[in-house]
Amino acid sequence: MEILVEQAKGKVPVTILKLQGELDGSNYLDVISKAKELYHAGTRDILLDMSQVNFMSSAGLVALHSIALLMRGDSPEDPESGWEVFHAIDRDRESGVQKHMKLLNPQPKVVSTLHKTGMDVFFDIHQNLQMAISSF
Amino acid sequence: MGNGLLLLNSAVLNDLEAIRSFTNDQIKSLDISELDTYDILLATTEAVTNILLHGYQNQPGWIEIEIRTQDNLVTILIRDKAPSFDPTQVPPPALEIPLEERPLGRMGVYLIKQCMDKMLHRDLPTGGNELTLVKKYVSNYV
Repeated sequence: MEILVEQAKGKVPVTILKLQGELDGSNYLDVISKAKELYHAGTRDILLDMSQVNFMSSAGLVALHSIALLMRGDSPEDPESGWEVFHAIDRDRESGVQKHMKLLNPQPKVVSTLHKTGMDVFFDIHQNLQMAISSF
Repeated sequence: MGNGLLLLNSAVLNDLEAIRSFTNDQIKSLDISELDTYDILLATTEAVTNILLHGYQNQPGWIEIEIRTQDNLVTILIRDKAPSFDPTQVPPPALEIPLEERPLGRMGVYLIKQCMDKMLHRDLPTGGNELTLVKKYVSNYV
């Protein structure tokens, strides 16, 4: 999986994390590591460009959620401890859509994974880059 | 009717993409809809991921994947030599209970059940597990 980083400026600085490839158990920790690196470098609002992600398993959901927690300033649960990270996902679903981590253009197949697990209500999904940036 | 077999003596998570490629190669001639194809690839990925992470504790392990196609059915048999575990007995994630009470791996199993029409488990006589996943697919030409 390729992970590319761009910076954009809307009402606030927004980091665009562009993922390319297939997101699964073999690489989701790489995505979380990159997000941690960005957070420590000052990123507080992140847009995940999912347009080039043509596959996402439940491991990808763990990555998305961990990044959302990071951007909120919370410590994500250790994903290597297992899928207990979903515990926090469920708690967060009740608190509404995440404000500091949003998705751009996920493919319908990827959206289907979000939908099957009820996680689509948890993430703000945009189709337009400029509108996504200005939404932060 | 077709049959395909993939044998990995020391499978690891980095093999997931190759496993999806093998699975896709076996079913692409069937004119299965894109969504059904994706469901099959997702279910296979979740099943193998569970075996590698939980059955083999993220250590390399033996996995055999057999794919049978017949009469608008795709049947995927996944065999391993990990300790006995029957994922068909994993209850669905109940959103009304605290997730802290849920066992690990349930989301992957839940996705398998969402994607496939049938999931069967049996302990292999020589040890290990055989998981059978069945999907009745919709042809692109229907």
